[in-house]
Amino acid sequence: MSEAFKMDEAQPRLLDETGQGLIGEPLDRPEGRLKVTGQARYSAEYAPERMVHGVLVRATITRGRVTGFDDSAAQALPGYLGLFHGPRFIRNPAQGMADEAPCQPGESIDYHGQPVALVVAESFETARDAAARIVVHYDEAPGAPVAPDTGEIEENEKRKSVQGDLEAAMAGAAAVVDAEYTTAGHAAAAMEPHAAIAEWRDGRLLMHGSLQMIRFNKNELADALGVSPEAVRILAPYVGGGFGSKLGISSEHVSAALAARALERPVRVVMSRQTVFDAVLRRTETWQRLRLGADKDGRLTAIGHEDRVSNLEGEGFAEPVSAATRFLYSAPNRLIRQHISRNHRTPSGSVRAPGEAVGMFALETAMDELAEKLGLDPVELRLRNIPERHPVTGQAYTARALAESLREGAKRFGWDQRPETGSRREGEWLIGMGMAGAGRSNMLVPSAARVTLSRDGALVETDMTDIGTGSYAILGQIAGEMLGLPIDKVAVHLADSDLPGASGSGGSFGASSSGSSVFLAARKIREILAQRLGCKPEELKVSGGEVSGGGTRAKLADLLPEPISAEAKIEKGKTAESHFSAGFGAHFVEVAVSEVSGEIRVRRMLGVFGIGRVLNEKTARSQAVGGMVWGVGSALHEELGHDPRTGHIVTRDLANYHIPAHADIPRDMEVVFLPERDDQANPIQSKGIGELGISGSGAAVINAVHNATGLRLRHFPATPDKVLAGWADGR
Amino acid sequence: MQITFLLNGETRVVTVNDPTQSVLDWLRGEGLTGTKEGCNEGDCGACSVIVTDETGAKPLNACLMMLPHLHGRALRTVEGIAGPQGALHPVQEAMIAHHGSQCGFCTPGFIASMAAAHLNGRKDHDDLLAGNLCRCTGYAPIIRAAKAAEEAPVPDWMRDTPLQMPEISSGVRGQTAPTFLPQSADDLAEWYLAHPEATLIAGATDVGLWVTKQLRELGEVAFLGQCRDLQRIEETADGFAIGAGVTIAALRAAMATPHPAFAELLRRFASEQVRQAATIGGNIANGSPIGDGAPALIAMGGRLTLRKGAARRTIPLEAFFLEYGKQDRAPGEFVESVTLPKSAPALTCYKLSKRFDQDISAVCGALSIPREEGRIRAPRLAFGGMAGIPKRAAALEAALDGQPFTEAAITAALPALEDDFTPLSDMRASARYRMEAAKAMLIRYLREAEGAQSILEVQP
Repeated sequence: MSEAFKMDEAQPRLLDETGQGLIGEPLDRPEGRLKVTGQARYSAEYAPERMVHGVLVRATITRGRVTGFDDSAAQALPGYLGLFHGPRFIRNPAQGMADEAPCQPGESIDYHGQPVALVVAESFETARDAAARIVVHYDEAPGAPVAPDTGEIEENEKRKSVQGDLEAAMAGAAAVVDAEYTTAGHAAAAMEPHAAIAEWRDGRLLMHGSLQMIRFNKNELADALGVSPEAVRILAPYVGGGFGSKLGISSEHVSAALAARALERPVRVVMSRQTVFDAVLRRTETWQRLRLGADKDGRLTAIGHEDRVSNLEGEGFAEPVSAATRFLYSAPNRLIRQHISRNHRTPSGSVRAPGEAVGMFALETAMDELAEKLGLDPVELRLRNIPERHPVTGQAYTARALAESLREGAKRFGWDQRPETGSRREGEWLIGMGMAGAGRSNMLVPSAARVTLSRDGALVETDMTDIGTGSYAILGQIAGEMLGLPIDKVAVHLADSDLPGASGSGGSFGASSSGSSVFLAARKIREILAQRLGCKPEELKVSGGEVSGGGTRAKLADLLPEPISAEAKIEKGKTAESHFSAGFGAHFVEVAVSEVSGEIRVRRMLGVFGIGRVLNEKTARSQAVGGMVWGVGSALHEELGHDPRTGHIVTRDLANYHIPAHADIPRDMEVVFLPERDDQANPIQSKGIGELGISGSGAAVINAVHNATGLRLRHFPATPDKVLAGWADGR
Repeated sequence: MQITFLLNGETRVVTVNDPTQSVLDWLRGEGLTGTKEGCNEGDCGACSVIVTDETGAKPLNACLMMLPHLHGRALRTVEGIAGPQGALHPVQEAMIAHHGSQCGFCTPGFIASMAAAHLNGRKDHDDLLAGNLCRCTGYAPIIRAAKAAEEAPVPDWMRDTPLQMPEISSGVRGQTAPTFLPQSADDLAEWYLAHPEATLIAGATDVGLWVTKQLRELGEVAFLGQCRDLQRIEETADGFAIGAGVTIAALRAAMATPHPAFAELLRRFASEQVRQAATIGGNIANGSPIGDGAPALIAMGGRLTLRKGAARRTIPLEAFFLEYGKQDRAPGEFVESVTLPKSAPALTCYKLSKRFDQDISAVCGALSIPREEGRIRAPRLAFGGMAGIPKRAAALEAALDGQPFTEAAITAALPALEDDFTPLSDMRASARYRMEAAKAMLIRYLREAEGAQSILEVQP
């Protein structure tokens, strides 16, 4: 393959010229029919010949070593095939984009519920029964710290950023906020439990795995197993939601592969819902201190954001809590610091919008409080503090719709009708409005794709995944738009590691990164067509089976004696140094709070966003709404609870970990995309949308609760007991 | 044992080796993997299927249904909701068009719930879909899809007729455990007297978890679904006699006119799939301190009839709950019916939970505060979530009796609730919140009586 295209300078807006009418259109997802009829096959749903079933055996201590296994009771079960463990087993899933095996701990146990072995049997029921009969001998190291304030605390120097003198600025400010906040741990809780089917064919592993980032996952799995990446093929055409929980390979993949190789039979391992909670990376709980200082005109003079997160020793990931604080608002005096508690809870990793999803609770509720102290409208306070350049790096911003989103949102929502704090009542219900800014950084990650144009239509091939986001739809739309084809003439093959390696789905970069690679491959095909027609590429028009340009014209079929295939790869370039790209927006929320029970009901929500070019209005809107719903969940009820003795997660099912259900979500939920092109982001001028919706939406809910009640709630989720306690304590 | 049922319109005869095998596991083992396992405990609805018996078509969680439940019934899965030649059902068309399916994993369960509602002409989508969780869409596109399909005609293939099955004779034995399908309460009474250690299974919404989560072997089991006489609601001279086998869904429908406050509480009882399977007898007999049925029944003055062989006894419902995990039930004795008064106009029920839909109550309060000439007369107050059992607030009742129905008088009486209860702190709520919220329910009751808006009118 030719060299990667580097995003060194803004590219022409070709998708504004092609005129095919596909880009941005709210087209149905092409795989919708398979999904509504139950025909879309997820990773657990293959049944290769002679397949057997595995169940993970998990640690019942928090810290120590495994000294031995006794499977004699299991051996009595007909159909029991064996117990598998050893140095290749992994402790926890790989962090996103690790590209290598996660920790392989040998006999070490580092958290309660850690997978330590796999039991395999002819049937799932036998395997489950056998797993319960395995006796694991431990050498326990008691007293493992399992709370964030008892572990060893270390500073994360990478996150430290100091400008000016925060303390002095706070002392001289006309108004200040200095408050502590906590957020609970969160689970991705994708609807599809983690699953793998491993099968070895002639020394090569075929893995059906529910995974988000195939290019990385192939290398992670090969490394974990000690084989070459060429000996691993991963397929994941349908993934039942990810939200970060399937970024890296996990115990089910490694254990299934090892057992399948030993038994010379395909092995299926599906995690129970409880195992998913215990043994998949969670979002850390956080402690945060947020300091703001402003002059009397509402110009920020100081921003301080300190946080403490949790993770196991050796895990490189630390929730970037202050991510948005770095770039959203200006202030000459800044302090950002992070500490990591090394404790023995289930390790933490990326869950939808790592950083912004929790950090913006503190930043955006503190901004609300500061506005109140200054007697300024919260929208106005934000408008007055939009920086000219990135406050930390000095980069120029690319297209940034923050001010416009704030103004447009306020107008559409009827913000001028916002009541005085605590003044609007409907029966026992106190009504309030709140808002928050939204920001989520946008990235370009190396991504490749192949496009083939033939007389029958076009085929897009890449190992990009569609985890519910809409990759099948948008990649087809880009190819169709570029090659002048109706959407039903474009086929999209995804999530096969034998195809060109894409960015994968994560960090909101999937659509833009893989979309750009498809765009570039199609652009190469256009160049060949132009050459064959005898015109300049920029003059080329393709539509309705006709190709024209430079005064000549031909039938597309005539230019395709044989199919044209082109592969392209994109990676970030100079624009990523000169410019800072992020999605921006604003959230507006109305709530009702019962003064009797403390219940909080969200009555309406509006999100206004600038996300560059919208590739498919329907799938993009769904991503925004989905994110906003997550904001409601984390503001009001999602909470991982831990046993204070062992650290193990006690809210480990969907009855006790409360993702929002129907009635928690308002019917009146509006999303507006402002017209925008991000020229420095990538050649299709788009930005990520999967995480912008959650960034700030929870804070807007909490700010609305303040407007309704006068309460400042700083510990999330804001469950009804905290509301009543807030009143009782006279806060 | 052998059972016979319709699967997507085709008659299936299945030999049941393990009577506690879930319908979900069986379906997926048959290669019908459209029906998904998201939690295996009735929380998420991804395994929803449509089951038709002589009472109609209903959405049920396949993970909480055991194979013998299917005997004589018609089962339709997502694979059978599309037409024979691949024609899509109107709700399938609408789900694509409105983008109600993203990752697609919850989709088949939604399709089953929506197709069942469509078949029955139901339009209360918010309630009917509360038992299906989705992590992608935010629900609104799904509701829009359900609305869009409302007026489309029901496709022919969706109309299942249950089978007229010969009875499975008493004492049929499965391979791993004796399995009994009694045909009447008499049948059950006689058998249970001889098999007092057996597990009685009605809707299996709780017993199902003993198997799938606790991995318990149940030994002898009886499936009560064929006892039609336990599924009746009879209107008597003084009130209603409700058979133990009446489902929560049937009870909710029957109570809408005589006991609207109770019916409204039942709207938030678990989810539609669970309400269609769970029975009031099971809800009472299992004795949970956080079940949502008992407090209202106690506040109404419900009486419980227990049967052992031919002998029956009737006790006030509150007397049945002795302490946590312990009920006043002798070996071989079962809950046969519960009797309610004709009306309880002063009854109001409040459920408080972290999540509005499909959540376990932190506190469930059922308050009946009748007044005569402005004074409270013989109030009955019962709470769930406040003690190890559903329990009356005797001290508060005494403190209120005879007092004027005013905020001042009620507020003065409220400290008595602390003599009634010492609630726990747990993941659902703190002890302090439980006590404060339970007290606040009386204030809410007063304000609503004075015309204020109820919580259920504040829909999002």
